[in-house]
Amino acid sequence: NMEVLDRLPEPDCVKLCHRLVDGLCGREPPCRGEYGATWSLQEWAGLRDSLTALFCRAVGSNSADEEVLAELQKLCSRHAHAVLNVLRSRRREVRLALLSRTDCMSSAALQDFDWSLKLALSSDKISSLNTPLLSLSLDVRENGALRPVAVEMSKEELSALISSLEAANKVMLQMK
Amino acid sequence: MMEEVDRILIHALRQVGTEVDEDVDSIRQFTSELLVEGVVRCIRVIDPGLGGGLAPSLPPGMSARFRVGMSLAQACQDVGYKGEIGYQTFLYSSEPEIRSLLMFLVEKLPRESAEASAQPSGKSAVLQRAIAAAIRAQLDLAWVPPNCSLPLHCETQSGGVLNSFYTQPLSSPHCTKGSEENLKEVKEYRRDVLPPVTAQFSSSASMVASLLEQHAAELSAAQEWDGEWKSQGLLSRLTPQEYRSRKLARLQKRIQEQLRSAAQPSSESAFGVSRPASDLMDVLQSFRASAPTEHVLKKGTHFTHTQKFTFTQEAAAAAAVTPILSAQESSGDVQLRQQEELSALQAQFQQLCSDVDHLAADMRRTAVTHAQVLDELKQRELGNTEKEEKLQVKKKTIDLLPEADNNVIQLQSLVEASAKRVVNLASQWEKRRAPLIDEHRRLKEICSRQDLDSSRKLSEIKSLHEKIHVSTEEAKKKEETYKQLLTELESLPQDASRSAYTQRILEIVSNIKKQKEEITKILSDTRELQKEINSLTGKLDRTFAVTDELVFKDAKKDESVRKSYKYLAALHENCNQLIQTIEDTGTILREIRDLEEQIETENGNKTVANLERILDDFKAIRQENAALAAKVKEG
Repeated sequence: NMEVLDRLPEPDCVKLCHRLVDGLCGREPPCRGEYGATWSLQEWAGLRDSLTALFCRAVGSNSADEEVLAELQKLCSRHAHAVLNVLRSRRREVRLALLSRTDCMSSAALQDFDWSLKLALSSDKISSLNTPLLSLSLDVRENGALRPVAVEMSKEELSALISSLEAANKVMLQMK
Repeated sequence: MMEEVDRILIHALRQVGTEVDEDVDSIRQFTSELLVEGVVRCIRVIDPGLGGGLAPSLPPGMSARFRVGMSLAQACQDVGYKGEIGYQTFLYSSEPEIRSLLMFLVEKLPRESAEASAQPSGKSAVLQRAIAAAIRAQLDLAWVPPNCSLPLHCETQSGGVLNSFYTQPLSSPHCTKGSEENLKEVKEYRRDVLPPVTAQFSSSASMVASLLEQHAAELSAAQEWDGEWKSQGLLSRLTPQEYRSRKLARLQKRIQEQLRSAAQPSSESAFGVSRPASDLMDVLQSFRASAPTEHVLKKGTHFTHTQKFTFTQEAAAAAAVTPILSAQESSGDVQLRQQEELSALQAQFQQLCSDVDHLAADMRRTAVTHAQVLDELKQRELGNTEKEEKLQVKKKTIDLLPEADNNVIQLQSLVEASAKRVVNLASQWEKRRAPLIDEHRRLKEICSRQDLDSSRKLSEIKSLHEKIHVSTEEAKKKEETYKQLLTELESLPQDASRSAYTQRILEIVSNIKKQKEEITKILSDTRELQKEINSLTGKLDRTFAVTDELVFKDAKKDESVRKSYKYLAALHENCNQLIQTIEDTGTILREIRDLEEQIETENGNKTVANLERILDDFKAIRQENAALAAKVKEG
């Protein structure tokens, strides 16, 4: 179903491919509204999925340019070279994106984290407390859904957390 | 000396809150107003309850002034001043009195500055003080609605757009390295298509976060690589590329081993595969879809085969029995027959089980015998080949037998020739060998030396790395301490440094010591002089007595000697008088000096001026009294 790609002129096609790769790498993917006049919803979805899959497959199996070109020429003869060029220029980024996807191959993976240090000057009972507190917020991707986790820790708790993380890192280093 | 004291006093008074003009730099220049203000402020600080009722300025009316002076003197005595004090101290001031009073009051002042410097210093204290100051400043500002907030409030009261830290991956050309750097397509992509980093985000909020994140990730990766390279990479004596590729190969091998070891136990216990293991099998299957996994996985043990076999047989038997069972429907016999059949079947089952056991045992036995037989066969074959070789040797010997002598000689010559050749070759080999061995040894030595060299250099490099690390750390630490000290220095009070005072005090003490020494010297001088005078007087007396006696003896005989005796007596008398006069002059001179000093001090007390002022004030009081009396009369 990639023949529909032939309906676009070459510059637009290159741009579309680049934006698809952007989406693959975690940036903003192209939206259908821009191409609404060219393709129907079904065509759009099919084209998008098959192009993305093609990029993933070509980078993942590390196939040679000739193989990809042959495959492309079967599907969409007109822009085969343009698509191949996009693939050649973005090979590294796609590879990194695929690697990070593989890294997150467990039930829950850390997507993002942020921390801020706060100083509690006093409480309702003690006038001068001066206790540092760390609030740590984690964004955990769990079965595809993003779940925020917020923790506030005192100094001792934080050092316990850090020591356990260091132990985990040590195990990782031993694996190497 | 006194200027120093005055400066300290004036500084202390300024700190208390008295407004002393810039050009006033000694106590002499103090006016009554200034003095009253300073004393009142000091008393307020020393004892707020006592100082609260005192006015810091002199009233215009003379009698009121007098009262203020009286109450101030009383307050000073209450605080603990022991010296002479009265209203005159404030109204008709003399310099020494004021100085001693002010010195007493300043001594009494609570040591604010000492407390301030005794506060815990250090980084945390500085930070906490800064926080406290910032909060105080924020509390001082009035709250205003966000709409009408001034730039002044922006910092503290803006409801602000606080963005949470969300990152997005971004692409920038600088961070890539490697062989594809020079690819034409990559260059074109970067030139034509790749938007600048600032345009790569859907929302501008995550831009800074993403940039920071990217930078931190690259930095930590570089640091990790650096550390690893320094600790292990250098020791492996490979180029970085080689080291990397070796590590990659090692990792891959390890992963493969892990996967294999995870896969093995599940194939061993194929009968009781647990759930997670089967999941892993799925994963593995998807990994190598083309590989003939079926074969590996389904290859069960002996036991599974027998088990399977047994169960299928039994099922077949059961299937054969059931139709007969269902055909007959007489209910009476059914149970009995069922039981019979059950027992029969159980017997059969047991029979079969024991059969199976037997068979298994048989199989095992036959397997063992099979192996034994195989071993035997091998041994026999070995024996055969040996025997064949022997046979051939014997055959040749038999062939040679007919011409035995000839053959023996030939053989002997052959043997000798070959022995010679062997010796020859050995000598040649020796000749060749010696230089080769030398060469080998030499090369080995060079090799070991180079090894040593390189390991030494490696350790040097390592120690250098460590040193660099340590010194950067130290530099950082020192920089921080420097900054901290700088802030502390800024926060310290700039004026009246303590060290200057102590130095001054030390100087004064040393001066006093010197003066004391001089005084003792003068004293000892005086004492010596006294001694000399005494001894001289004694000598004189004795000489006079002797002379007097001698002359007196002769005086009875000779007239001229008598005259001379008279003269002697007169001389003695006159000299005594002279000495007396000199002593008197000395006492009078001392008295004069004392009086002059007294005059000086009286002059210092400004008695005349004060008297004039007292007269004026007296006149003023009389006028006031007269005015009051007139008012009373009018009233």
